[in-house]
Amino acid sequence: MFLTRSEYDRGVNTFSPEGRLFQVEYAIEAIKLGSTAVGIQTSQGVVLAVEKRATSTLLEPSSIEKILEIDAHLGCAMSGLTADSRTMIDHARVEAQNHWFTYNERIKVESVTQAVCDLALRFGESANSEEALMSRPFGVALLIAGIDEKGPQLFHTDPSGTFMRYDAKAIGSGSEGAQSELQEQYHKSLTLEEAKVLSLKVLKQVMEEKLSSTNVQIAVVVPITDDFTNKKKGGFSFLTEAECQAVIDQLA
Amino acid sequence: MEPATRTQNPVVTGTSVLGIKYKDGIMLAADTLASYGSLARFRDVERLIKVGNTTIIGASGDISDFQYITHLLEKILIKESNTEDGHQLYARHIHEYLGRLMYGRRSKHNPLWNSMVVGGIRDGEGGTFLGFVDLQGTTYEAPTIATGYGAYIAQPILRKAVEGREDTLTEEEAEKVLEDCMRVLFYRDARSINKIQIAKVNASGISISDPRFLDTEWAFAEGIRGYGATD
Amino acid sequence: MQMYEEQKSSCPVKVPVECRFSPYTDNGGTTLAIAGDDFCVIAGDTRQSEGYSINSRYAPKVYQLSNGSVLATGGMYADGVTLVKMIEQRLEWYRHAHDKQMSSGALAQMLSTILYHKRMFPYYVWNTLGGLDEDGKGAVYSYDPVGSYEKQKWNCSGSAGHLIQPFLDNQIGFTHQKEKAPLTLERVVQVTKDAFTSATERDIYTGDNLEMFLVTQNGIEKTRVELKKD
Repeated sequence: MFLTRSEYDRGVNTFSPEGRLFQVEYAIEAIKLGSTAVGIQTSQGVVLAVEKRATSTLLEPSSIEKILEIDAHLGCAMSGLTADSRTMIDHARVEAQNHWFTYNERIKVESVTQAVCDLALRFGESANSEEALMSRPFGVALLIAGIDEKGPQLFHTDPSGTFMRYDAKAIGSGSEGAQSELQEQYHKSLTLEEAKVLSLKVLKQVMEEKLSSTNVQIAVVVPITDDFTNKKKGGFSFLTEAECQAVIDQLA
Repeated sequence: MEPATRTQNPVVTGTSVLGIKYKDGIMLAADTLASYGSLARFRDVERLIKVGNTTIIGASGDISDFQYITHLLEKILIKESNTEDGHQLYARHIHEYLGRLMYGRRSKHNPLWNSMVVGGIRDGEGGTFLGFVDLQGTTYEAPTIATGYGAYIAQPILRKAVEGREDTLTEEEAEKVLEDCMRVLFYRDARSINKIQIAKVNASGISISDPRFLDTEWAFAEGIRGYGATD
Repeated sequence: MQMYEEQKSSCPVKVPVECRFSPYTDNGGTTLAIAGDDFCVIAGDTRQSEGYSINSRYAPKVYQLSNGSVLATGGMYADGVTLVKMIEQRLEWYRHAHDKQMSSGALAQMLSTILYHKRMFPYYVWNTLGGLDEDGKGAVYSYDPVGSYEKQKWNCSGSAGHLIQPFLDNQIGFTHQKEKAPLTLERVVQVTKDAFTSATERDIYTGDNLEMFLVTQNGIEKTRVELKKD
């Protein structure tokens, strides 16, 4: 299979005769090696849950960061090459801050997702005046969760720069199994609490290790009650280990 | 390295341009003198030009800058006509272009030293247009416009004759008031000359008159010491 | 803003000659905005002046923007025109990027950043932005040329700003008044007309026409009244 493809593996921006960009497809494959991450949107807020794959018992689990805050109202779970995700998250953070600076309002979830995806195809030779930033595509998929005037939303991005909105989405090595489980279990009237439990239930099924409060991480984005210039309540937050354990306890 | 040099003052200049609306369209007037400081250097320079088939422009200020602007207008007109997309540049568009051009140059601290009056058919919908642009990018529309000394000497006369009568003022009346104003300007503006042109835009198109001399009255000077009287 | 320099020549008499170029000019004019509970009135005269000359009796400097806000500009007309053109481009770009109209609050902040980005070569414009906020309440923001801004209930800027502002403080803010009349749209319109007719008497840069934009939930109504032409 690689023999027939190899000619078109050279230039990262060269289409194959079948109309495919292999490097982008390989990048999408790379994500399937990453740890599993799950996102579930409910009417009360969005849940993000990830497995933290500890490669060694000597590894400090809290140093694995797979869920990150973009802004007060935006969170993000990633799977794939962690280092690549830094570039994307940094860009998202800058974009969110710039929007706040210029317009004195929180950027929309879709807008910040679009901004991240605009980066995705800036690899290979530079075209026109656009400067190429990278030699290869990102090897990362993101689940961007947030709340804006349209309510709680969950977006998925992949290395091709495509983004789509989901009610529930799984990415990473266990994504196939996790996604079909989400398909089974998801319904529109899910509460936020139920979504937290479901996210861990789904992760538990696809994880190789035994699920515990140290090898999973959960974050939520819920509506912000106070004006964000004052002391706010809600928005993006991580669950503490104790809160996480409380969810685990509900897994019968 | 030499510091960048820019136009900090005009060199060869034209004085006032007048423009009014009248019943059938727009009328502009200017004299044909190009001064070099206080020297009446060129006495036959035409400062009223035709731009396309619907617009006329009159310019005061630096003559070479105006010739450069004329060249730019010719260029965009040719480009527009070669495109053959059905778009046509009317007076409103030429005025906007000049406004952006002049503002852009002033923002680079490198102005084109002119005040211009733009007249003609407003746009594809018809109507008339009379507007002004200067070296700072200031723009406006009005039924009467006068640049330079004309703003002080001719404008009051023009406003009295035209304001509220834009739709009834005849071509003869319009031409007379402009000629009267040009004569007063010749009497009072030391940088003017008694040779003028009048340009019109109306239903029958654009016409720019050949330069012609104003009739002036100097008989009174005979009685004034220094002009004729000896005591 | 004219600068004079002595002529360098062999001429025995030294004559001041206007020569240095100034990129700025003041075209005068007065603008006003008043916010009510569920409406906003933004107004300005239409005279454009330069020195002691009237350039035009009708050169409007109050602009209805595509997001439903109204921007009143005063100071240098060419800078105002340029600023409004740029704002319109930014409003359209925002609409494409975020799939919604920019709110008056977002526009208020954006205008501040636009002005401050030209801190070293400012737009010589005093802006007053009026409209309705997301809750349908009247909103007025006023600016200095370099982007310092404040949300207000009423404001008057420009050549007759110093004449009208204290009048508004009294008639709209009811300073030193025992009775407070309800702030209806009708009363605000009347106060606006009175303010401009009075200012026209004393300020040579204000006159010719008064253009008013009445912003309510039902849309924007534009009206024009004549002012004295002298």
